[in-house]
Amino acid sequence: MNHLPVLLVALYLAAALGLPLLGRNKKFPAGLFAVGVAGCGLILAAASAWHVAGTGTYSYFPGGHQAPLGIEITIDWVTVFLHLTINLLAVLVLIYSTADLSRELGGGRAKTWYYSLFFLLLAALNGIVMAFDLFNIFVFTEIGTIAACALVAIRPKRLCVEAAFKYLVLSALGSGMVLLGIGLLYMVTGYLNIGAMAQALPKAFAMYPWNVLVALSLFVIGLGTKAALFPLHVWLPDAHSSAPTPSSAALSGLVIKVYAVAMARIIFQAYGAELFSRIPVPDVILVFSTAGIFAGSVLAIGQTDIKRMLAYSSVAQIGYIFLGFALVTMNGIVGGILHIFCHAVMKSLLFLAAGAIIFKTGIRKIEDLAGMGYRMPLTMAAFSIGALSMVGIPGFSGFISKYYLAFGALAADRPVYVAVILLSSLLNAVYFFPIVVRAFFGHKEKQMTWDRLPWAMTVPMVVLAALTVILGILPGGLVRIAELAAGAWLN
Amino acid sequence: MQSVVLQTVIKLLLPFIQVYGLYIIFHGHISPGGGFAGGAVMAASFVLFAMSYGVGEGFKRLPRLIAQWLESLGGLIYIALGLTGILRGAAFLTNVPEWLGQAGQLFSAGLIPLLTTAIGLKVCSTIVTLLYHLLEEGHYDSQTD
Repeated sequence: MNHLPVLLVALYLAAALGLPLLGRNKKFPAGLFAVGVAGCGLILAAASAWHVAGTGTYSYFPGGHQAPLGIEITIDWVTVFLHLTINLLAVLVLIYSTADLSRELGGGRAKTWYYSLFFLLLAALNGIVMAFDLFNIFVFTEIGTIAACALVAIRPKRLCVEAAFKYLVLSALGSGMVLLGIGLLYMVTGYLNIGAMAQALPKAFAMYPWNVLVALSLFVIGLGTKAALFPLHVWLPDAHSSAPTPSSAALSGLVIKVYAVAMARIIFQAYGAELFSRIPVPDVILVFSTAGIFAGSVLAIGQTDIKRMLAYSSVAQIGYIFLGFALVTMNGIVGGILHIFCHAVMKSLLFLAAGAIIFKTGIRKIEDLAGMGYRMPLTMAAFSIGALSMVGIPGFSGFISKYYLAFGALAADRPVYVAVILLSSLLNAVYFFPIVVRAFFGHKEKQMTWDRLPWAMTVPMVVLAALTVILGILPGGLVRIAELAAGAWLN
Repeated sequence: MQSVVLQTVIKLLLPFIQVYGLYIIFHGHISPGGGFAGGAVMAASFVLFAMSYGVGEGFKRLPRLIAQWLESLGGLIYIALGLTGILRGAAFLTNVPEWLGQAGQLFSAGLIPLLTTAIGLKVCSTIVTLLYHLLEEGHYDSQTD
């Protein structure tokens, strides 16, 4: 038994609660403190991963009460993978935020509140991925939803408040559905623990098929709303584009995926892949995700605002993750899990680069970006790496996940989804490449004027860009973890 | 809404509400209720006071600063109590077996009464803070606090 994952959540909760008190001192360096706490979080996550690699996966019982009566926390490879992703991204985004937030939020105490909410969100995200109990998943989901809405609404602008309200109402609706689904399952199985439920469900399904089916559809729709699965994505473009840049990066990069993981955990581990594939839900999710991949890309093509375009692109990218999960084959799930990490890295990179451009020049319109490569070469280079990875050019991390998704589609005997992946990659190219081309070649005056950024903004971008390239060339370790994670889901 | 009848009734009711709230909090481990329910009842007393005497009077009795401290401390105490489990070599939030006492007694159940007290503090101060925000309707300037 190892306490590191629980300490991770406790650390973030304590930081979220302590910050308002510490922040009363006007000289308190909130940004530095936030980076320090997230750094500790990353160290805890890495140590936990090291421990799991050495001794294998395990379950943790807070309070010492055994399952199914006690709360179970599972530290499997999915948890490890997601913990590493979340905390790595958190550190980088928080480093970036120390330079960016003063502009977005103004001075004063809003900054400490922002960090407090950010830590609450991190505690929830880390909690959702390790909860092995439906009710704990729900509780952490609620904490995460409210913190995420507040992170959008914190900018005192009409647009942000409106977007946050939309997000709050739809998310609350999703939470209600999840709770109802949990209630329906508890009614027929008598358990909330996912492991115990998995054993009780086949019998319960034979006796009360409707309860089980309705609960499944409530989970898919409820968590699908939070994860922005295609027809339920309407809140996402407003919320992710109007939020402060660090929030956009965290919301697009991490939050929506964690709900996808929660859904996959319920589906694969409570229902079991066997029961799941007997019900035609995978086909429905496949249709939704395919529609989302195309619709998200097509809507992104039509956008003029760069952050809004990136937000629509997230709708398409979350479609890939659901596509991988719904193929219910080993390679498909590996591809979906890999895409969680790859998309988290590249979408954060793109949002941070877009934020840096807005920070320095105030330009949000895509058509005004002409010649930006000569004004901000480093930022545009990072943006280009992110864009190439999004399209899935070999040598960048986006290619690896799509490669596994394509193999998953072939293994599922559905070659049509290989075509979907290829075509959608072309669509991605249609909206990402013009920006890159315009920035570097769209300007007559090839005069170099390097607008320098604070190092706190360049370092996270450089690290993310490096990660994108390195993982594109040497994906071995990451793929290994994703395979171990997918193996746990398919058994 | 400054009415003498209302203010007098509230003045008479307040001690009873607060004692009842504390009762629910401290008996959380042996009877229905606990930190959330008791904290909400406690908060109701402050809310009623602030509504009948005006927010200004309410601030004098439970200032915003103290409400903020209680809110954070409630959560931090809970986490600290959870960590004592790890320090003793067991899982997070594990109870202290020596303190369990006899079931049904007020002083029993180890850490649980302490946990409900922490929750009560947090819930009470959170609800009061929420209400202060609503009653002020945004006139409060966060920068000058």
